[in-house]
Amino acid sequence: MYLPDFDYYAPESLTEATGLLMQLGPSARVLAGGTDILVKMKSGLLAPSALVSLKNLHELRRIRWDADRGLAIGALATHNEICNSAVVQERFLSLSEAAHKLANNQIRNRGTIGGNLVNAIPSADLPPILIALGAYVTLAGPNSSRTVPVESFFTGVSRCALEPEREILTEVVIPPQKTTGSTYIKFGLRRSGALAVVGVAAAVTMDGNVVRDVRICLGAVYKVPTRAIQAEQVLIGKTWTNDLLEQAGRTAVGCCLPISDIRGSAEYRRDLVRIFTRRALKRAITQGHV
Amino acid sequence: MSQPTPAGLKSSARTYTHPGLPEPADKDYAVIGKSKPKIDAREKVTGQARYTADLKFPNMLYGKILTSPHAHARILSIDTSEAEKIPGVKAVITHKDVPTLKYGISPARWDENIFCIETVKFVGDKVAAVACIDEETCYKALKAIKVEYEVLPAVLDPLHAMDEDAPQIHPEYPLNKNTEIHQNFGDVDEAFRQADYVRTDMFVGNRTYQAPMEPHTATSIWQGGKLTVYSSTQSPHYFQYYIAREFGLPMGDVRVIKTYVGGGFGGKLEPTGLEFAGAVLARLTGRPVKMFYDRAEMFAHNRGRHRQYMKLTTGVNADGRILGVHADFIMDGGAYTSLGIATAYYAGAMLTLTYDFENYRFDMNRVYTNLPACGAQRGHGAPQPRYAFEAHLDNIAKDLDIDPLEIRLRNARKPNTITPNEFVVNSCEMVACLEQARDISGWADKKGKLPAGRGIGVATGSFVSGAGYPIYRTDLPHAAAMIKVAEDGTAATLYTGATDIGQGSDTVLCQMAAEAMGYTYEQMKIVAADTETTPHDFGAYASRQTLMSGAAVKEAGDEVRKQLLEMAGEMVDLPPERLSVRLGRISAKDNPEITLTFEEAARTFFVQKGPLMGRGSYAPPKLGGKHKGAPVGTSPAYSFAAQVSEVEIDEETGEVAVLDVWDVHDCGQVINPALLHAQVHGALYMGMGESIWEEVRFDAKGKIQNPTLGEYRLPTALDMPRIHSSLVPSYEIAGPWGVKEVGEGATLPTMGCFRNAIFDAMGISVNSLPLTPEKVWAALREKRKANGEDIWDPMACECFLE
Amino acid sequence: MQAIADKQGVKRYIISLTVNGDEYSPVIKGNTLLVNLLRDGLDLTGTKKGCELGDCGSCTVLMDGKPVDACLVLALEADGCEIITIEGVAQHGELDRLQRSFIDNAAIQCGYCTPGMILSAKALLARNPHPTEPEVRAAIAGNLCRCTGYVNIVKAVLDAAEVTA
Repeated sequence: MYLPDFDYYAPESLTEATGLLMQLGPSARVLAGGTDILVKMKSGLLAPSALVSLKNLHELRRIRWDADRGLAIGALATHNEICNSAVVQERFLSLSEAAHKLANNQIRNRGTIGGNLVNAIPSADLPPILIALGAYVTLAGPNSSRTVPVESFFTGVSRCALEPEREILTEVVIPPQKTTGSTYIKFGLRRSGALAVVGVAAAVTMDGNVVRDVRICLGAVYKVPTRAIQAEQVLIGKTWTNDLLEQAGRTAVGCCLPISDIRGSAEYRRDLVRIFTRRALKRAITQGHV
Repeated sequence: MSQPTPAGLKSSARTYTHPGLPEPADKDYAVIGKSKPKIDAREKVTGQARYTADLKFPNMLYGKILTSPHAHARILSIDTSEAEKIPGVKAVITHKDVPTLKYGISPARWDENIFCIETVKFVGDKVAAVACIDEETCYKALKAIKVEYEVLPAVLDPLHAMDEDAPQIHPEYPLNKNTEIHQNFGDVDEAFRQADYVRTDMFVGNRTYQAPMEPHTATSIWQGGKLTVYSSTQSPHYFQYYIAREFGLPMGDVRVIKTYVGGGFGGKLEPTGLEFAGAVLARLTGRPVKMFYDRAEMFAHNRGRHRQYMKLTTGVNADGRILGVHADFIMDGGAYTSLGIATAYYAGAMLTLTYDFENYRFDMNRVYTNLPACGAQRGHGAPQPRYAFEAHLDNIAKDLDIDPLEIRLRNARKPNTITPNEFVVNSCEMVACLEQARDISGWADKKGKLPAGRGIGVATGSFVSGAGYPIYRTDLPHAAAMIKVAEDGTAATLYTGATDIGQGSDTVLCQMAAEAMGYTYEQMKIVAADTETTPHDFGAYASRQTLMSGAAVKEAGDEVRKQLLEMAGEMVDLPPERLSVRLGRISAKDNPEITLTFEEAARTFFVQKGPLMGRGSYAPPKLGGKHKGAPVGTSPAYSFAAQVSEVEIDEETGEVAVLDVWDVHDCGQVINPALLHAQVHGALYMGMGESIWEEVRFDAKGKIQNPTLGEYRLPTALDMPRIHSSLVPSYEIAGPWGVKEVGEGATLPTMGCFRNAIFDAMGISVNSLPLTPEKVWAALREKRKANGEDIWDPMACECFLE
Repeated sequence: MQAIADKQGVKRYIISLTVNGDEYSPVIKGNTLLVNLLRDGLDLTGTKKGCELGDCGSCTVLMDGKPVDACLVLALEADGCEIITIEGVAQHGELDRLQRSFIDNAAIQCGYCTPGMILSAKALLARNPHPTEPEVRAAIAGNLCRCTGYVNIVKAVLDAAEVTA
């Protein structure tokens, strides 16, 4: 296999990077870890005229916690860096666990959180847990930046709110919150190197056995990762029981529209949504860590 | 204990006594039976081992093949002019530039061309080729070749390939029938009439692919009229033979060299477009041409496992003794024959091995479809029928309320018997395998006593130790070997055509050579699989090399030993019969103080008589019956295995977690225990992959949907169960030192074993492979519905989205 | 970094990287992948190509100590990095303990996955000298093997870990 020819730039600053994007026009692409974009280029799906590599933007690799903003993860943090980060494990262990479920070790050493989000495939593993934890992204343009909640970041299959000709996703922030438990369950067809057939993330704020707040996000079962709001409403303010969780699971099926493809039928995926929504909720409620 | 067989049917298998030497009483072997480290291990762990794609030659070009995007189409025109203009493109060829002699690995069906002439027959069929200065230019050149096609209706469903109105793929084979088989032994109808119970089941297998880690590569180099081909091959000989034939060259002018091969599993037994087109491109350009398939092209080229549709009917006694079996199969052969005729025969032939029944009918149609051609994959046609029969037998056991392991013990083949289809079975420890499998798995404590969601299942398998007849009709011996002892005796080189593709034949053959000579393994050297320098051997397939190549090696080693001891006898003034040699030391049998080294005797031999060499060859005896297809399935010896697996099923999602697999093998004398168990692990792993994950899928136009190692799912290290590989003592009279095969045997029982464990766990039968979570989920729902349970319908809920 | 265009306008770049302790400054096209730079440019053919899409791990190398698929790394992205390939594991002809353990545990059959396996395992033991079996399996889950069922490979890695216990 081979890659088409392209011009390559490795800017030294964010300003230089966004300036380049403006200058190079719509057929330029940002290069982070390369694990998605190079596969697309080898498969003939993409032939950018230029690649703007972010590898010198070291400030985008940092993972920090502060009490005001919360957990700020630089867009270039790799999945393994997120998984192994003491700060992430301490503050949001479910995110560390989710990052570990992606692909395989080699891919996780190159693939980045920024790339995972901007690639925007429906079965991506990080969006569900980020949405359940109320995360937002910072998009830096040439003169200004803006923030977008991850929940509204995805606009379609492989489409997101970022304007590729002028913006670079620079960080993902999970704000401080009262969440008492969260988790992400991924159902893939083998235990490594498998796309999610169904992914469910749940984050709960419990008051004893009463569900004060809950956020459920479904992955791989709609054109974008999707909140299961009606399923959440089944639980809010109630004391949890196994039956109630099952009911939430059934309701969650109404919040997705999975397709049938070579990995599974729509009917199977729907039933998996029911099962894993229930299981994710139970784990988030009973396991005691965020 | 068991009921007498009804009168009128043959009551038990014919017996047979092999005329060979009995098992030696003293088996104090010095070199064989030891887990010696592989002779090529150091090269492989350091990256020094050069596989075919790693070889570079001065002035070398790269070549690639243009393939068809259509499953079935007429070629209207091919315009190579744009491609030829691209800088760096040195040659572009189509069918006009190559021999049009049809070829194929099965002599009865030469149905392939180097490039398609009138029609393309599957997505991936060969149309043209280019030679360029680098890989990238090749891909660009292929894109610039313009082919006009007239798309034709395609046959994509093997079950409709034989319909009257189906498109015809090869005009010489009406109704797309590639191979039709009707074999009949004993009296199946009478057996069914007399049986206490008759049951019919239908099973469907999956189209899978060998997926070796190393893609096919071939580099062709001409020197005058002589062609040298370096290839990732399982058989330099078959490659040499078929390439010579295609180009009208004497065999002596075609040299095929195997360097290191990264796995074959049956898919690298026949020359591909890479060898044929590469030879032409190398000739035209006058430069070495390296050709390769990338992973997607590997999937399209295929020659993997046939998908089989298997209907089985079996009649049994009330105690489960099998009286007769009717196997009625259809297999999807894809667009060309490849090894498929043999595959079709093997599918039925191997069913008579593990269980003893005398009445057997086998009907088979191997059909052409416009899909990638299928060939031989580990187990060669036998694994899916084995899955089907093991599942079928468990169904019968359940209906009769007999323990599945017990029913197998009652039917297990005994040694020194002849199968109804005329296979002579010498050693057979089927009973011992089943008993040991039962014991080490804890079957008695588990069967029927496991917690909900857990199950335990058993299956058997058997495979040939080399095929009784080669792939094309010839009187050549099957294997030959030479050993040259170094002039000072400090090394001995084994020359063998046997082909190490990872299974370790180089290692075990060196062990066998050293054992036969009384030498040490550590001093052995090996030159193998080069048709110009090594003696003839048919190569690595049908698990033949340990027994067949080994027999030739033993003969060569014995000849060296004989000459050596004669020389030593002269040196110490004793008759050679009074001397023994072991691990490089010669001594008098009744006086240990009289001793000299192998090296001393070898050097003296060279000084006085010239090179100390041994030669050997092996041809199996004439085997098999007189019925049509009788040769396929014949073998000097058969391995036997029993597998038990324990699974845990997620009763909601259908996910099957295999916890443990116990494999008990009867493979005769073991040459290298570590390598043997490693082969069991690998064979079982492939069986596992095909049981649960692997399937090549096609879209509505015959294009592969999952030609990647991401979506064609091989099990990863995280997916594997605990594997317990165990052996029963066994001695095979027809094999050197009593050896049999192991390379393919452990693939056979696995699929049936898992299906039976699932059946035990959940009472559901999954009748098609692979046994995916979704299929288990669906079967569980059906079962609950049939029990009157309320099943929530995921399609019927309120939808909140647009 | 420096770029020069050829007659067709295709740019070439000079990069600097260290491979197995040796410094190189190759001139490459932008679309050169690290795996091809190693195999073709530097004749280090121990790194294999099995799928070229990051699914099989045959091309695993260590990049600044971390296992990555060299088929998905542009050579340009390796500028300034330290790469270890299988050829750099043995030191002065002495096999390292992982290599010896692979041999002793019959963990090699066709050998095509072996370079990648050893590098993945080497990186694991460098950061986790006493891994559990599940940790070993997770570390090599991105290295597909078609021959061994991973049984002896896992054993070899655990045995090599024991050596330093």
